Amino acid sequence: MTVAALSQPNFFQAKKGIASWLFTLDHKRIGLLYLYSIGFFFIVAAGLGVLMRLELLNPGRDLIDAQTYNQVFTLHGVIMIFLFIIPSIPAVFGNFALPLLLGTDDVAFPKLNLISWWLYVIGALFALFTLFYGDGPADTGWTFYAPYSVRTGTNVSMTVMAAFVLGFSSILTGLNFIVTIHRLKTPGMGFNQMPLFAWSLYATAWIQLLATPIIGITLLMIVAERVLGIGLFDPSIGGDPILYQHLFWIYSHPAVYIMALPAMGIVSEVIPTFAQRTIFGYKAIAYSSMAIAFVGYFVWGHHMFTSGMSGPAGFIFSILTFFVAIPTAVKVFNWVATLYKGSISIEVPLLFALAFIFNFSIGGLTGLVLGALATDVHVHDTHFVVAHFHYVMFGGAGFAFFGALHYWFPKIWGKMYNKAMANLAFILLFIGFNLTYFPMLIVGIMGMPRRYYDYLPEFHEMNMLSTFGSWIMITGLIIMIINLVVSKQRGAKVSGNPWNGITLDWQTSSPPPLHNFDKMPVLPEGGPYNYPDAISTHEEKEKKDDE
Amino acid sequence: MASKENNNVHPEHEHISSYKEHFGTWVGLILLTLMTVFVSAFGADLSTLTVVTALTIATIKALAVALYFMHLKYEPKVYRAWIIVVMALFLFFLTMVILDFTTR
Repeated sequence: MTVAALSQPNFFQAKKGIASWLFTLDHKRIGLLYLYSIGFFFIVAAGLGVLMRLELLNPGRDLIDAQTYNQVFTLHGVIMIFLFIIPSIPAVFGNFALPLLLGTDDVAFPKLNLISWWLYVIGALFALFTLFYGDGPADTGWTFYAPYSVRTGTNVSMTVMAAFVLGFSSILTGLNFIVTIHRLKTPGMGFNQMPLFAWSLYATAWIQLLATPIIGITLLMIVAERVLGIGLFDPSIGGDPILYQHLFWIYSHPAVYIMALPAMGIVSEVIPTFAQRTIFGYKAIAYSSMAIAFVGYFVWGHHMFTSGMSGPAGFIFSILTFFVAIPTAVKVFNWVATLYKGSISIEVPLLFALAFIFNFSIGGLTGLVLGALATDVHVHDTHFVVAHFHYVMFGGAGFAFFGALHYWFPKIWGKMYNKAMANLAFILLFIGFNLTYFPMLIVGIMGMPRRYYDYLPEFHEMNMLSTFGSWIMITGLIIMIINLVVSKQRGAKVSGNPWNGITLDWQTSSPPPLHNFDKMPVLPEGGPYNYPDAISTHEEKEKKDDE
Repeated sequence: MASKENNNVHPEHEHISSYKEHFGTWVGLILLTLMTVFVSAFGADLSTLTVVTALTIATIKALAVALYFMHLKYEPKVYRAWIIVVMALFLFFLTMVILDFTTR
């Protein structure tokens, strides 16, 4: 693949000064602004997670009291969900890579893109502000369940407003991506020639656009009830607490796919690049993203099986939930089939993609236990649920985020990280992650409830293991961050296309110029993953081996 | 670069609505509002159909606004398809919440 000669200054050199960053309209810079701000909040929330694990090292109080523990897990959840996972891949890598993948010079609405980032910052400041006044941050859990969220004296209203503002940021990003994909694809690129990461962002954007307003309205209803005393959710003033759960999960279950779908898109980019072969079942993967986004709207009730929701409603939601497994499994089988007979090079991004498949499969299969009415009753609100969603969110979306960071690192900065250190960080993260969360599946089945700072002695061993795992995981995380930060400054320079990728993002220099391409990118013949040297039959493989 | 040369960008043929059409829609909305007020305030005895009637009138009004004031009638079919998908989703949300409430 010919890489365009560097004739324009790259996007770092094009303009200088802090103002040129804070008010930039360049999608690549906005992606990096998101990376730095999201990265900061991820580190804060990860620190809170480690603090919770330290408290749970032994039964009884070790470090913090029950009320502080409640506030810590709420803050951990709110930051991780609203400030990290939901915006993470779309806002950082969607912004950076989508126009490059589509062969265009920017997103459709650059100013709206900048406003999205500023709204993100304002929402984040709202969330941080809750730390410093009144009775401190909310203690409701990230779900803000009524009627407790209506009655508690902690700063629920401000936390809810933070989520409300962050929702607008998400909506505007989604709108921008939909229009970009419809209108700005390079000439000759139809929907079926589009890279799969773009497909996943497209499906995600529709969820962001259609589902997020529902949580916005619901959160405003909480504020209305707290401030004006309108009886919406509190039964003592005529409200219905289960209605709150319906409204909350109508958004928040599709939001799970806002987190998971872009991660699947990353895996779909990484695997063909490092297998150097055509992706198996392109259309199946592309359309399954849309199917997941669509079916994801119909399954919210599986979060409420034990909340007092009616039996018939639970029965319908349970059946519908199982349908989501089909398009998800389609993707997993296609990824594995892509690796078959590929010329695989085990690089760090591929390791993260494979870890995604492993972790996400555990997360998905444990999800079936929770989606079935009969088994959910036994494990609802236990550590089993905590482990399940961390396998999906962190083991899945989080690992894909790290994979994307290592995949596009040379494209963003034009330098390569220390691969030995990156491998070490990956191994520690993978082992640490599984050691942290697998014991939670076991204590969950044993009956240990979530959201308690204390537990019975029979859960002690597993909790110790889990806390040890968190130390290994955080060590891996620190090594990964130091490696990337140091490599950004001192890493060896690389060519525009160090991975031999054939999607359009690899046809420009690294870092890319301000307007992305010095010359019009050339679409690969036969689709975005049609590798010229790919081996498609066993005979071809034998022939190549003989040579 | 690609945006100006893009083969996906089609020239738009904008429909310009006449004053007559706008005025007719406005009159229709006023009449429907009066009907809602009549049903509610002047004691039209519709028993259990009161809520259904009010919602039906509101739906017709919303449709008129979407079709004429928001130009949906003259937009490409894909926009109408998306509106229908969104309305179908909304209907599903309502149906399931009401189903839960009535069978608890």
